Formats: sequence, C-alpha cells, structure tokens
Amino acid sequence: MTQVKALILTGFGLNCDHETALAFELAGARPYRVHINSLVDGSVNLADFHILAFGGGFSWGDDHGAGVIQAVKLKNHIGKDLLDFVDAGKLIIGICNGFQALVNTGLLPGLDKDYTRRSVAITYNDCGNFRDQWVHLTANPESPCVFTRGMDMAEFPVRHGEGKFIAEPDVLSVLQANGQVVFQYADATGSPAGGVFPFNPNGSLQDIAGICDPTGKIFGLMPHPEAYNHVTNHPDWTRRKQHLQGEGHVFETEKTIGIQLFQNGVDHIRERFF
Amino acid sequence: MIACIEIALKQSLRDADASSLVKKAASYFKIQIESARTIHMLTIDSDLKTQDLERIRQEIFTNPVTQVSSLSPLEIDFHWCIWIGLRPGVKDNPGATAMEAIEDLLGRPFGPDEGIYTSKRYCLSGQSLTRSQVETLAQELLSNPIIQQYKIFSRTDWHPETGANVKPARVILDHTPCFDFIDIDSDQTLARISDQRNLALNPRDIPVIRQYFLDPEVAAQRQSMGLSGPTDVELEYISQARSDHCNHNTFRGIFKYTDVMTGEETIEHSLFKTYIQQPTLALKEKKDWVVSVLWDNAGVGAFDEHNNYVITGETHNSPSNMEAYGGAITGIVGVYRDPMGTGLGSKLFMGSFGFCVGDVNYDGPLKPPLHPRRLLNGVIEGVRDGGNKSGVPTTFGQTLFDPGYMGKSLVFVTALGIMPKQVKGRPSHEKKTSPGDLIIMSGGRVGKDGIHGVTASSESYSENTPAGHVQIGDPYTQKKMHDFLLECRDEGLIRFITDNGGGGLSSSIGESAMISNGCVVHLDKVPLKYPGLDMWEIWVSESQERMTIAIAPKDLDRFMTLSRQHAVESTVIGEYTDTGKLHITFQGKTCAYVDMDLLDKGFPAWEFDAVWLPPAVRGLTEPVIRKPEDFNRLMTAMLARPNICSKEWILRQYDHEVQGGSVIKPLVGVNRNIPSDASVTRPVLTGNKGLAFSQTLLPWYSKIDAYHMMTCTVDEAVRRLIAVGGTLDHIGGVDNFCWPDIGYDEKTNPDGRFKAAQLVRACRALKDACMAYEIPLLSGKDSMYVDGHLEGAFGERIKVSALETVQFSATSVVEDILHCQTLDPKSAGDLVYVAGITADELGASEYYDLFGKTGVNVPQVNFGANKVLYRAVEKAVNLDIPASCHAVGRGGLGVHLALMTLAGRLGMEIDLSRVPAAAETLSDDVLLFSESAGRFILTIPPDRKPVFDKLGKGLAFRCVGVVTGAHDRLKITGGGSDVIVDLSCADLDKAFNKLFGEMI
Repeated sequence: MTQVKALILTGFGLNCDHETALAFELAGARPYRVHINSLVDGSVNLADFHILAFGGGFSWGDDHGAGVIQAVKLKNHIGKDLLDFVDAGKLIIGICNGFQALVNTGLLPGLDKDYTRRSVAITYNDCGNFRDQWVHLTANPESPCVFTRGMDMAEFPVRHGEGKFIAEPDVLSVLQANGQVVFQYADATGSPAGGVFPFNPNGSLQDIAGICDPTGKIFGLMPHPEAYNHVTNHPDWTRRKQHLQGEGHVFETEKTIGIQLFQNGVDHIRERFF
Repeated sequence: MIACIEIALKQSLRDADASSLVKKAASYFKIQIESARTIHMLTIDSDLKTQDLERIRQEIFTNPVTQVSSLSPLEIDFHWCIWIGLRPGVKDNPGATAMEAIEDLLGRPFGPDEGIYTSKRYCLSGQSLTRSQVETLAQELLSNPIIQQYKIFSRTDWHPETGANVKPARVILDHTPCFDFIDIDSDQTLARISDQRNLALNPRDIPVIRQYFLDPEVAAQRQSMGLSGPTDVELEYISQARSDHCNHNTFRGIFKYTDVMTGEETIEHSLFKTYIQQPTLALKEKKDWVVSVLWDNAGVGAFDEHNNYVITGETHNSPSNMEAYGGAITGIVGVYRDPMGTGLGSKLFMGSFGFCVGDVNYDGPLKPPLHPRRLLNGVIEGVRDGGNKSGVPTTFGQTLFDPGYMGKSLVFVTALGIMPKQVKGRPSHEKKTSPGDLIIMSGGRVGKDGIHGVTASSESYSENTPAGHVQIGDPYTQKKMHDFLLECRDEGLIRFITDNGGGGLSSSIGESAMISNGCVVHLDKVPLKYPGLDMWEIWVSESQERMTIAIAPKDLDRFMTLSRQHAVESTVIGEYTDTGKLHITFQGKTCAYVDMDLLDKGFPAWEFDAVWLPPAVRGLTEPVIRKPEDFNRLMTAMLARPNICSKEWILRQYDHEVQGGSVIKPLVGVNRNIPSDASVTRPVLTGNKGLAFSQTLLPWYSKIDAYHMMTCTVDEAVRRLIAVGGTLDHIGGVDNFCWPDIGYDEKTNPDGRFKAAQLVRACRALKDACMAYEIPLLSGKDSMYVDGHLEGAFGERIKVSALETVQFSATSVVEDILHCQTLDPKSAGDLVYVAGITADELGASEYYDLFGKTGVNVPQVNFGANKVLYRAVEKAVNLDIPASCHAVGRGGLGVHLALMTLAGRLGMEIDLSRVPAAAETLSDDVLLFSESAGRFILTIPPDRKPVFDKLGKGLAFRCVGVVTGAHDRLKITGGGSDVIVDLSCADLDKAFNKLFGEMI
C-alpha cells in the first residue's frame, strides 16, 4: 500500500471539498471526500487515512462563531479518534473554516501536548465585513510545520469574515518561541504587514495567518492554498504571462505553491509511513 | 421553562457590529454614540435542566478566549439598550442551528413545543442620547417592522434580573386546519372573493373559471369526490398558475402596436413566441452546443466533451424593496435552486448580482419603504450571505443608481451549474414524471411565510401589499440539500426534480404532474413548521429551500438513507398518476379535484395597447453644450460619478474564488481594483476550458428608445466576452426584463401605452441582436411591475417608475484559458489601439447626465460591421497578440482610458485626432464621452504590431497612442493639438474612489 490517503470532510455547509480533494490529488495523494456523519456513525474509520483535512466553508452556517459547532460535534462523537490520529503522527490541515474548527477543538495550538484546550481564537475581521482578497505571506523558516518546508513566501486568497487571530500575550510568546507561527501576513516585498490593512486583512495579532502545533503535524491557516491550484488562479497571471513572453519565454502551467503545500504533507507521509 | 443565554465579546475586544452601528449612526443620522456593545441572546423554550443549560452555554455558545456569557442578563453598562428580535414565524437560521447543536450534544431531540429563538441587544453609551434618537436607530437602522420587533430600555427601565425579558417568538395558530368552498354564483361574487382573499384573479379569467366548475360533467365527477363548488385550494391553484409571474401573461399577451409618426399598426400575438422562442429554436438548429432551452428551470449548453453547463437569471425585486436583506438572500438562494432543479440536477459553480437602486444620498421628500442607502446595504449583505454560505463563487456583479429605482429597486441574481452529460447512461438534461413515481418534498418545512409572494410580485407596491411574503433564505439548509441531491443524481435515483419557488407545491407539483398527466397529493403528510395551516396555505406556501422530486418506489429506501446521512428532511407526500386529475387530499378527504388540462381551457390572452411616440415626437433634442475648457476637472468629475466610480467594497464582500476555478476575477489590474469586462471560471478543474460570463445593464438609453437600450445592452455583453477571450461561435444569453406597468389606465397609468410600446421595441431589438450575433436565449425572466407609489411631503403618494431595464447575461466557452486576457496595460512601450468607430452618440450618456440632459442621439449598433471587427479581435486575443483588451462602455473612451491607466499603473499618451471617428468634425468632448457601441481599447506590444495590423486590415483599428513608463499619467491630446487631459494615477484614483473609497 503506497497510496497516501487524505480524508476531506464534507457536509453541514462545508464547501471547499472538491478543490481541496483536487489539490491532494495533484499533490500525489488519493483524496476521499467523506461526510462528517460517516465518521460519526462509524461507516468510515479515521484510522484508515494518513491526512485529515478540515476544509473551508460555513459549517452550520457559522451562526454561533465560525467552526464552533463543527468542533463541538467532532469532539463529542469522534474526539478520541482524533486524538489517536494525532498520536499516530498523522497530519491534520485546517483551512479557513477548518482552521477555525481546529482552534475550537483545541487541536491547535496543542500547547503542552493538550489537544483539547481552547487557548487561541479566530474572531471577526476588524474591517467588519467578509472579504475576498489575495494576501502575501511569509513562512517561518524556524517552524516545524511539515506543510511549509522549504517555503519562504507564498500568496493565497483569504475569503472570510472571521479571520482575526487572537490570543493572550503569554500564549503568543509561547507560539513564537515554539516556531508555531507558520504564516504571517506581509506586504509585496515580504516585510511584515504590521497590522496594516489590507496587507493584514483582518487585524490578526502579530499578523498571524497560520499556526501549527508543537510537532508541526497539525496546521491551520486562514488563506486558501487549494484556491491556488492552477497558474491562472493568481490575480496577476495575465501580467506575468505578458512579461514572460516579452522576455522570450513560454508561459506554461506549472505546479503552484498551493499544490506544493499539499505535496509537502504528502511527501512527509511517504517518508514517515512507507 | 424559558431560559436565556446572553453572550458578548470580552470588553477588551473590538466589537465590529457595534462599531458599525456607531459609525452609521453618526454618518447617516448625526447621532453621536460614545460607545456601544452587542449582546447576542438565545431564548430557550424547553425543559432543559440547569446543568444541561450550563453545559451548552459553556461548550457550544461561549468561546473562552473571546466571549463572556451568562444565564442571567450580562452586566454591561449603558445609557440606552435596544433589543431587536424576529417576529414570530420569521425564519430564524441561527435559532435552527443552535437547536441542531444542542440536540447533538445532549443526544435528545427537541419536542414540537420546544424551540430556540435568537435576538440581540445593543448597549449604547452616550450622555446626550435621547429616546427619540434611540428610536430612530431602532427603526431606521437596526430593525424592519416587517420581520423584526424592538424594545428600548433606558437605564431606569432596566431590571437587572429580568433584563430584556424576551418571550419566545413562537407561532401559535389557534386554528383547526380546514378548506372552504367558494361561492361562484356570479362573476361579481368571484371577483369580490378574489379581492378579499388576495387571489389576484384577472377579471377576464373569472368567467372561464366559473364555466369550468359549472360544467355538469365536471360537477358530477367532483360530486363523486364529495366536492360541490370550487374549493379555496383549487382557486389558489388557478390563481398561482395564471399569475403573471408563473404564466408570463404579458409576454404571451396580444399587443396592438401603433407608431404615431408613421401611423403604422401591427399586432403582436406573443412577444415571447415571436422574439424569444422562435429565434432561439432557429439558433438551436444551427448550434449543436445548445442542449436544452425554453422549458426547464434553466437552459443547458454544452461545456466540454463530458459536461453541460446550466444557466438562469432571476429578479427578487418586490420583497427586497421592503426587507432588503431577507428579500435579497431569498433571491440568491432561490435562484440557486433552479440549476439544482434543471435536468436531473446540476452542481452550482458560479453566480452574479445586479443591483439597481435610488440615490444613496437622497434627502428629498419622498419616503420609499427603505431609504436607498439602507436598501443597498441590505441587498449587498443578503446576496453576500446567501452566495458565500452556498459555497458558490460570485464572480461578477454591478450596481447602478437612478432615481427611478427608488420606486422599486431591482435585485438581479444569476446562477450557473455544471452537470455530467450522462447520468447512469441517461442524458442528464432529460427528465419526466411517470405514473407510480413517488412525489417527495426535500429540504425545509412549510409555514405561513411566502404566501401570495407570486401574486404580490405581479402587482405594484402599495401600502396594501401584504408584508407576510418576505422571507429569509437559509443557505445552510439548502447547501446540505444540494450535496445530498447530487449524490442521489449520481446514483441514478432521481427521475424528475424541480424546485419550489413561486407558487410552492402548487406550481412544482402542478407543473410536473402535467407530464405524467395526474397526481394525488396528501397535504397532511407535508411537514410543517407549526400546526394550524389551512390546506390552501400548505399548497401555495413559498417556504424556501424545498425541492420536489420524483423517484421510483424501489429507490425509496436508498433515497431516504442518503437523506438521513446528509441531515436533510425528505417526505413522501403523494404519487404521480395518469388519471388526468390533480387530486389533493387532507386526512383522507378530497380538497381539490380538477382536470390537469384545466389551464388549457381557453383562458384569454391579456391584451395591451402599445403606442410608440418616437423621440422627436416627444420633443427630445440634443442639448447645446459648448466645448468644455477644463477637461482635467471634467474627467475627474466623470470618474467620481456613482455609476462609474469604484464599488470595490461591494465586490470584495463576495467570495469570488471558492471552488478553485477562478481565472479572470471581478477586479483586475495592478492594484486589483478595476472592474473587469467579464469573469472566467473553470467549472471542471481537471481541464483547461473556461466559462466566460458577462452582464450588461444600460437602462438609461430607454429614456430615448428601448430598442436601442436593448441592442446596446446585448452588444456590450458580447463585447465584454470577446475582450476576455470568449468566442462568437458560442454565446449564450439570458434576458431579465424589469418593466414598469404597461397596462394603460387613464388615471393610474396614463403612459402605460408608451411603456407597452417600449416593451415591444425592446423585444424586437432582442431578436435582432440575438439573430445577428447568433445568441440563443438559454433562459430569461420578466418582472413587470417596477413601480412604486411613494409618500411625499404632504401625505400624497407619487408614482415613481423604474427605467425600462433589461439585464443581459452572456456566456461563452473559452477553449484554452491560458489565452484569456485582462484590461490592464502591462508593458511600457506598447501601442494603444482603439477598434471600432466613435460617432456623435451622447444621447442618454453619462456625460449628458452630468449636466442633467438626455439628448436624442442614442448609440445605435451596427451588427454587421461589429461582427467582422469582433471576429478580428477574438482572433487577436486567441493568438496572444494584445497585452490588454477592454470593451468601451458607459462613459466612453475618456472614462475607459482612465480605467485602463489605473489598472496598469503606467502612463498613457493618447491622441484623440487618431481615434477612428464617424466624422472628422467630432469635438473633443464627443470623442471622449460618446458611448458608441462596438468599440475596444487594446494595447499591442510593438513586435506584434505587424500581425495585429494585418488582422485589422480594412477595419476600424487605429493606433491612438502609447503606454509609457516615463510617467504614470493619462495624457490626452485633443483635436487642436493641445494636451487637454493630464492627470496622474493618483488624481484618477482619488476621483474614482471619492464616493465609496472609505467603505470596506
């Protein structure tokens, strides 16, 4: 068995499952879109997979805080399976609504190996509205995060109304010290956004866009890497094409940094499990 | 027991909701609030034990990092507190999800008498605030009496233990469900009952209805079922089916058209058949990509070898006019059910919006139901929540302002889906109901909401319009149903599917049973939100998020298993038959029994007089405007105009790239803030094909002639597609007509005949344009009463009609998305070309409007010349020749050169004397602001110039200037060889963002 199997949650208002599945496929894994109820009723067993993806969307309409009810439901029904999955050294990625769900389950930030305590939160954007825009991100080279290995910068879209990362100052210090801050919002040159809108689109403290647990195997981020699955997803692609052609180059489809992010996870599983 | 959980953000955290209130109070009403906090409340009507209440409070409803909460009123200081809650029966989406979460956590379902109700209270601090100011905020900003109620507490009114003292907003209908027989002893009696019961029966239909029920044979058959005269259920069924909304009586009506200038008289027997159906069917024969048109919930076109796309467009004007958020979210969520109910069901992959509202800064005497500013905010948010929570990207959208839309605002919503061509070996665009198939209702439950929505939207807005038809869409419930139904489709379980929209079950079952030729429906099986609904109410209720599905009995178990897995409620409510009868029962008793072909029993077509007064007869002339001297100020004034300026803040609130297929986004350019010509999306992520989508609204030209409004609208939609990489080989269209009342009445609608003539002319133009560009109309809708009677300063009511408006949507399939293009110039040194001829066509232009003038020289479309030119541009884009391509629209070359400068952030130097023009005598202002159709601006790298010139040989392609890196200014040289415009990007940007730049 050499297939890396990725489980992508679906149902209850989640909505990025198709493109997240595609991203895993392009990254060399075999994706399975699985309804949350199939895990709850036991017809699908989490232990059969290597990577678990909490994707974007509006689970339960985000009516009582983004990702909150999803977290309660999963903890309530498959809390132990999730902890076993983590114990087995497998990977979890949470994107946007999935990131919100991960911090509400306590799987992130997982301080002191406690994967059930909520110690950080993702709340309403300072700008007061849902917002879709592309952001510049800097990746922390010191982070143990397996998904961002070898990355220094990335660009993805954010699409959320609740993306402001907050935590108490002591928690923030620990996250920084452990290298758990994975992605930070930046300007086009890669300098920190410094909280300045729209580079930091939501007012996140310390420009935090994504964090991991201390082992680097659980990763949550607000931007959507799966939405950069093709060169033409990038807002500047027509300009880039023109400049390349102007220099006598051919513009071709190539693997995007979005797919690279998933591939890092898939490669890690290959190295570790096969 | 009634409990209440109060939840608030910790005091140290920013409360965006409250901050927005403080800001709006100051800017809209000059009311100064020092600070405000929001408290969310859950009123729990259940016998939960205290420890369970504590558990749900802590585990579900309180985030320990951000929130505080309590089972008693939170002690947050205020001078005034405003509590806002929903009225009983209004859809409470957060209440429903709260209940779902509690049931799951505690492992016990709520009983029928239990419920959860959400509400909010705002704690306002401000020494100077008065009760009347707080009342203003409650009424004008925070609540709408149609769906909400409010209470105001001063510090002294407030009791710290009882707090807002919220009672559950439970619906209690102390009523035993029944049905009535309706007296039809005379036409007058039936007419009176129609008025009383809001049936909106057309007087001309009444004799036909009576004749049917008085027919001895019919009477005998009905007697055998225990029925004498018609029941209220039956008359409601007829009323729904005959409403203008469902039956399109206007478009199927007979028009006597007279041109007063020529005296020529023509009879139009059916605008729909002549100008929509016939050309579309003719084009279907020619175009093998046209798969299914004119019968289903949406049209179907071929996308690639394995998939078809589905498109339809709707409006949701009347409800949005009264409750903007609720109306708009219901509109977008509603139109999203159409592709779900097309063929065997499609997966949604994109949507779009068009908003037409009055002046957002209006401060005159008229009192529309909602101020345009409030209305716009509401519709933006409604479509945003509905679209985003459906997981469907909103890739395109436009917002227009005109005083006429204060009478009735327009909310256009468009939906596109994708489906495999074959499902289990069957063509996915075909479906039918057969005798023995079970009738299933899936999704939401039925309540009193939405009753008579269809008939209300077939009438002008007045103070008597029933408010009960305003609903609040529930994208969460619908998204679950969407995912569920696609799984059923792929397993081959679905034989027929359609949505419940206007007319509810009456329409969805009434129409689908025509195919099998009969049905029996058991209304007592229909799941209700609360007991006490009469049979007719269940039958016509428009409660949202419901689909009607036909499945074979053998598939029932599997269908229900999937339904449970997806947490969707599905219920068998009857069976299709071939008895020729629509048979409805309640607890075994027949309450309706009519012939399926009743609606073919000779109901008369509607008739209209249409009198065309050409512009000259109406006294329209060109204004006399001497050449302006300060073009710099003129240009910035044009860019700052509401219909030109940036609306980035609106577009950014829409998720336009969920599903991962975004190729050309709604905003483009270096700073990603210039509206693009069209969007391009990959609905199939494994391929390189794209779907290009554009929409155009040019209602102003109707002030002169709706014929040219229509041709210009179609032309611009086509041109926008070509600009991004679309092809003339495949252009699909969707027409959405919004027209003021065309029924002449000496007193109430004296210009009805003229508006009827405008409609005829627009339809003729639609056919001319569609035949010229070979555009089959994949779908289309009409909304016919866009008028309002607004209260004025002295209590008088003044009729305000919207402009005759058509939103035209166009689609094209892009073979290889890598050849798509955007409008931003990309490299210094590139040459700027204008393609297409500029004529003296400033009639109803943005430029004339700046001076309050209309003029008469409305742009006219030369289809023949345009087609040749568009082919050349299409080819150029496909060969990667231009570095940018942009369709010139509202505001003319001046505005669109400025937008391109802003998009590329490079300088542009333009010589107006080189612009291809219809005459050499055109003055600089005409060249800059004429809105002639058929034009593009392109930038061409110098090395590609020879190829481009060759492509444009003999065509109106002219190099008019250059892109430069030496500066970032737009410099335009006029006919007199002077530089008349010289503005930096910063100047242009400032003007473009002046009106809405502060909005986020």
